[in-house]
Amino acid sequence: MPLPISSIKALFPIFSHRPELVYLDNASTSQKPQAVINTINDFYEKENASIHRGLYDLSVVATQKYEEVRKKVATLLGTSHSTSIAFTKGTTESINIVAQGLIRKQLSPGDCILISGMEHHSNFIPWQQICQQTGAKLAIIPVNIQGELNLSEVDNLLIPRTKLLCLTHISNVLGTINPIEEIISLAHKKNIPVLIDAAQSVGHYPMKVDAWDADFVVFSAHKMFGPLGTGVLYAKEEFAAQIDPLNFGGGGIKNVTLEHTEFLQYPHKLEAGTANIPGVIGLGTAIDFVQQLDLIETSSHTRNLCAYLKEKLNQMGSLQIFGEPANFGSIVSFQMEKIHPHDVASFLADANIAVRAGHHCAQPLHESMGVPATIRVSLSIYNTKEDVDKTIETLVALQKFWSR
Amino acid sequence: MSDLKKLYSEIIRHHNENPFHFQKMEQAPHILKAYNPVCGDRFELYLTSEDNRISQIHFHGFGCAVSKASTSIMVKSLEGKSLQEANTICNDYLGFIQQERMESRPDLADDFKAFSGVHDFPERRECATLSWIEMQKFIQSRIGDTK
Repeated sequence: MPLPISSIKALFPIFSHRPELVYLDNASTSQKPQAVINTINDFYEKENASIHRGLYDLSVVATQKYEEVRKKVATLLGTSHSTSIAFTKGTTESINIVAQGLIRKQLSPGDCILISGMEHHSNFIPWQQICQQTGAKLAIIPVNIQGELNLSEVDNLLIPRTKLLCLTHISNVLGTINPIEEIISLAHKKNIPVLIDAAQSVGHYPMKVDAWDADFVVFSAHKMFGPLGTGVLYAKEEFAAQIDPLNFGGGGIKNVTLEHTEFLQYPHKLEAGTANIPGVIGLGTAIDFVQQLDLIETSSHTRNLCAYLKEKLNQMGSLQIFGEPANFGSIVSFQMEKIHPHDVASFLADANIAVRAGHHCAQPLHESMGVPATIRVSLSIYNTKEDVDKTIETLVALQKFWSR
Repeated sequence: MSDLKKLYSEIIRHHNENPFHFQKMEQAPHILKAYNPVCGDRFELYLTSEDNRISQIHFHGFGCAVSKASTSIMVKSLEGKSLQEANTICNDYLGFIQQERMESRPDLADDFKAFSGVHDFPERRECATLSWIEMQKFIQSRIGDTK
C-alpha cells in the first residue's frame, strides 16, 4: 500500500517545528523526512567508521550499507546495472566528471557539444568551458515561446560531429518535461550519446534509464528528500571504463608505486578520498522513502497543484507566466508588472512563504526570455491547496499595496 | 505598520516608480557598472564631471525597488556636488545603512531615512548600497588622482 498523500507532510519534521512555513522552493532543495535525518544521526551515533579499509565490524557494516545503496539507486533509476552507479558530491560534480574526465579528451576543433537553451548552469558551464578549452563548438537547441524544444530542430542540430547531447529531463525554471525518450532515440540513430540531467526528476517521476537507453544520468540526493552533498553519476559500461578520475588520493587505486598508479575500475576509481558515507546511506533511506510512494499519484498531485496555481495566477492579471509547456511538472516561473521579483519574494517571505527569485542558475534562458529575473514557485509532495491559496492571497495583497 | 511595509516606504516606492534621471547616456565620459551577480541587479551610472565637480548623473538598468530607489536618490543627492562634498555624502549614507540606527542620526535627510527599514532586513542591505559603493569608489579614485 503506497503512503496516502494526506499523511506525507507529517513525516517531515520541519513542518512541525515551523507549522506556519509554506515551502515552495523545492526545486532548490527538498525538505527531509524524519527517516533520512535518523539514518544520518544513527550513523554518527552508532555506526561511524570509514569504508573499504577496516577489518573490524563497524567498517564492514558501513561498507555493506554504502555499497547496498548502489543497488537501490539502480532500482530507482530503472537500470539493472548497479556497477554503473558512482557516488559524487552532486549533479554539478557528476557533469564535470563526464565533461573533464571523458568528453574533453575526445574533442577536437570543429567537433560539437549540443545542449538546450533551458539548461541549468551546471549543465551549461562545464560544456562551454571544455568547448573553449578544445576549440569545439557549443550548439544550443532553442526554446520556443511555449517553453518547449522542437523535435525536428533537435534532429537538425544533431550534426555528424556532435560528440554528446546534454539535456535536462525537467526544466528548473519552466517546469517543462522534455520528451527525453524520443530525443535519445533521435541522437542514437546518429550514434550520438546522451547525458540526462535528472536533478528535477529523480524521486519525483518514474525513471526508466534502461528503457530510454540513456548513456549518462546525473542527479543530487538533496532534491529528492535525501541529504545535501551527495549525488550520483550513472554511466553506461562502455563509457564508464573510459572516464578518467579527476580526484586523486586515498582510495580508488589498485596499486601505487613511485613511478605509476593503477586505478580501480569504475565506479571506485572516481571515489578517491573518504566518502560522504552518511550522505550515501541517507540517500539510501531517501530512496526507501520514495519507494513507499506511488510516484504516478504524487506526481499528478504536484502537477494538479501547479495547474491550479497557474490558473489562479492567470486570473490575477498584471502578471506574466513564462512558458506554457503541454507537459509540465511542479515548477512555474512568472513576473509581476512593475514589481521586481526580489520585492515579491520579500513580501512572500514576510508571510512565511519561501520562493526563489532571480535567474535560478539559468541566465542564458532568462536572456532568451528577455527578463533578468523571475519568481519561481516549485511544489512538492507535502504542499497543499491551502499553500497555493495563501500564496495567491499574499500576491493579491501585494498588488494592492504597491498600487496605493 | 509591519517591518516590511516600513522597508517599502512611500519615498522608496515613489523613487522606484519615478526614478530620477533614469535614462541611458551612452556618450557620457564615465560609465560605471553596479552589478550584483547574486541577485542579478544591474545598473549603469552615466557621469559627467567638470573641475572636480560631478556635473551630471543619469542611470539605467534593472533592480528591486530598494536598489532602484537608492540609486535614484543617490543621483539626485550627488549631482552638481564637488568630489569632496559627494564623498562626504557617500560616507554619510553608507555609514548610516551599514552601521547606525536612525535614532542616532536625526540630522539625516528624509530621503536617506527612508532606508532605515533595511536595518531589519540585513539581506537587503546590499540592495541599498549597490550603486553607492560603485559611486564612492569612482569619487575616491578621482580625489586620489587630483591630489
